[in-house]
Amino acid sequence: MSTATPNTTTIGRGIQLSGVSKLFGDLEVLKDVTLNVDDGEVVVLIGASGSGKSTLLRIMSGLETSTTGEVVVGGVPMHDPKRAPEIRGHVGMVFQQFNLFPHLDALGNVTLALRKVYKMSKADADAKGMQVLARVGMDDRAHHQPSQLSGGQQQRVAIARALAVDPRIIFFDEATSALDPELVGEVTNVMRSLADDGMTMVVVTHEMGFARRTADRVLFMADGVIAEQGTPEELFGNPQHPRTVQFLSKIAEA
Amino acid sequence: MNVSLIWQSLPFLWTGFLMTLGLAAVSIAGSTVLGLAVAALRTSRPPLLRGLGRAYVELFRGSPIPITLLFVYFGAALYLGYGVNLFVAAAVGLSVYHSAFVAEIIRAGIEAVPVGQHEAAQILGLKPAQSFRWVVLPQTVKIAVPPLVGQYISLIKDTSIASIIGLAEMMKVGQSIVDRTGDPVSIYLTVAVLYFIVCYPLSLWVTRSQRRAI
Amino acid sequence: MFEYQWRTVLAYWPDYLHAAVLALQITVVGFLLAFVIASAAALARNSASAILRFVATCYVEAIRNTPVLLQIFIVYFALPSFGIRLSAVTAGTIALGINVGAYLTEVLRAGISSVGKGQLEAAQILGLSTRTVLLNVVAPQALRNVYPALVNNLIQVLLGTALLSAIAVPEITGVATVVNARTLLFVQVFGIAVALYLVLSYGLSAVATLVERLSFKTPTGRRTRKRTPAPTLTGASS
Repeated sequence: MSTATPNTTTIGRGIQLSGVSKLFGDLEVLKDVTLNVDDGEVVVLIGASGSGKSTLLRIMSGLETSTTGEVVVGGVPMHDPKRAPEIRGHVGMVFQQFNLFPHLDALGNVTLALRKVYKMSKADADAKGMQVLARVGMDDRAHHQPSQLSGGQQQRVAIARALAVDPRIIFFDEATSALDPELVGEVTNVMRSLADDGMTMVVVTHEMGFARRTADRVLFMADGVIAEQGTPEELFGNPQHPRTVQFLSKIAEA
Repeated sequence: MNVSLIWQSLPFLWTGFLMTLGLAAVSIAGSTVLGLAVAALRTSRPPLLRGLGRAYVELFRGSPIPITLLFVYFGAALYLGYGVNLFVAAAVGLSVYHSAFVAEIIRAGIEAVPVGQHEAAQILGLKPAQSFRWVVLPQTVKIAVPPLVGQYISLIKDTSIASIIGLAEMMKVGQSIVDRTGDPVSIYLTVAVLYFIVCYPLSLWVTRSQRRAI
Repeated sequence: MFEYQWRTVLAYWPDYLHAAVLALQITVVGFLLAFVIASAAALARNSASAILRFVATCYVEAIRNTPVLLQIFIVYFALPSFGIRLSAVTAGTIALGINVGAYLTEVLRAGISSVGKGQLEAAQILGLSTRTVLLNVVAPQALRNVYPALVNNLIQVLLGTALLSAIAVPEITGVATVVNARTLLFVQVFGIAVALYLVLSYGLSAVATLVERLSFKTPTGRRTRKRTPAPTLTGASS
């Protein structure tokens, strides 16, 4: 019984952005951003609302296109509209609003892409589905509808859904921002274990604890540029840029 | 109220009743299929297609049904000679007219599905057609069914308008009986009751589903 | 050849014009009748008396679950059996008024319930009579909130006049059928009829919008040029 997806050899590694800008009408949300993410690296983006971090994430995952600049994700030139669709199914995304399919149960959510895109048989897809659900600790609720699950449980199912297609990279867009505080831990724990297993992750978050413990590199964004970046120790312990200092002190007050 | 007259007329009214139901069933199917196509036009990306869909909807929603029906009937009569099948003409007219409303209901259903659903499907690798079929459409159906049934109830009532082109549905049969016997009160009230028996349960279902949705 | 067809049909413009005027008259009178009936029925459905509620509900459900053509036939053909003999135009207007009145009842009910309970309590404390509350507090807000639905139903009356051709009222559809019988140019004949209906409905909508702008003042009591806010049925008044 095969539980692998035909997904592992087709694309390259890492993310390379150079000179990326994004305009929404007259508003310049991203200004000339250059960034490299290595295979297996966990990069965390922090910053105030409107700093451009979510837009940057959506450009990397293919949901938005950059106005200028080069975006190469897993070897796929995303800025080339003809080749950008190649990325689909090779990266995963976990959304703030979960975006689980309400008409399918947990297992159904996880296996939909396996059955429709990778044409796996129901038996194979279900086996793989249960495997990833177990990975996030949700295998005992495989047949629950999303409406029957708590926020944290739904988000874990969403992570399992992203994992099922064996992506190279997973993007997390404020994955815990919509959760009640006591549910945040179960999700960040899963994210931590993915990082420990070597998944390449780009995470936009407000959870500084997660950034401190799990990130290989933290990027602070302000007004559409990467104001400062470094290891968690460097950025949190010894911030250089005045905006970073300002932002971190505001967080500390809260 | 002439009960014996009503009793005697029932067999004829029953024939008309079956014709009404048959016409309604065919027109419901026809308007749904057409409505889906027009809804697809309305939600497509090229502005020309969207504009076409919009024009179609505005045209039929802004004209009275009799005109649509008469247009189809006389058009068919002129181009096919007078061997026009009244049932087919009525079915086409009703289907086309109501498809404009069905299209708007389906379009509203599609637009009510959050954008995030489609994005999640896209990231997972589903192509747009697959995303529509397996993620958006199931949710659209759930939202759109109660208003659609409401529209079908209107359609059932509108089958009565086929009487103006002479189709022997329930309204026309009732008319003929009244012309023969001269007792409009008994007959028309009976016909009213017959329509009511079909439509009222459906109306109740629609009200109940919409209350549950809230 | 094509031009000849159009000229032939357009030669009937006086008939079309009279038909359009008649349709407008029936629409306006029918809608006013519908409004009066609907106001009474909406209040009845909200009343404390179970009998009133039952009667009003029966009216609404009976009308909404039977075809309007049948209702027209009943008013025109069945009432004479009770000694009430009406002209086709009168019968048609009354039938349309009764029909749209049922749908308007639901619209007005929604409008009434959209006026927040807090206002009624405030009015009660101030000692305002029920009548004053209804006319000066509830009605203005209810009407403003459901105004688009009101206009919709007005258009429905207009489209309903087309069915009156079945009882030989010389409105637009009736005239078109006659002209078609004479010329057989059904495309032009019914095309012009559709155009007339579209013109009339857009015209009615425009007039209705004008009326809305002129009658609905802002909460401060001053008339403004601004469009009234989108109606909500959740009780949120501006």
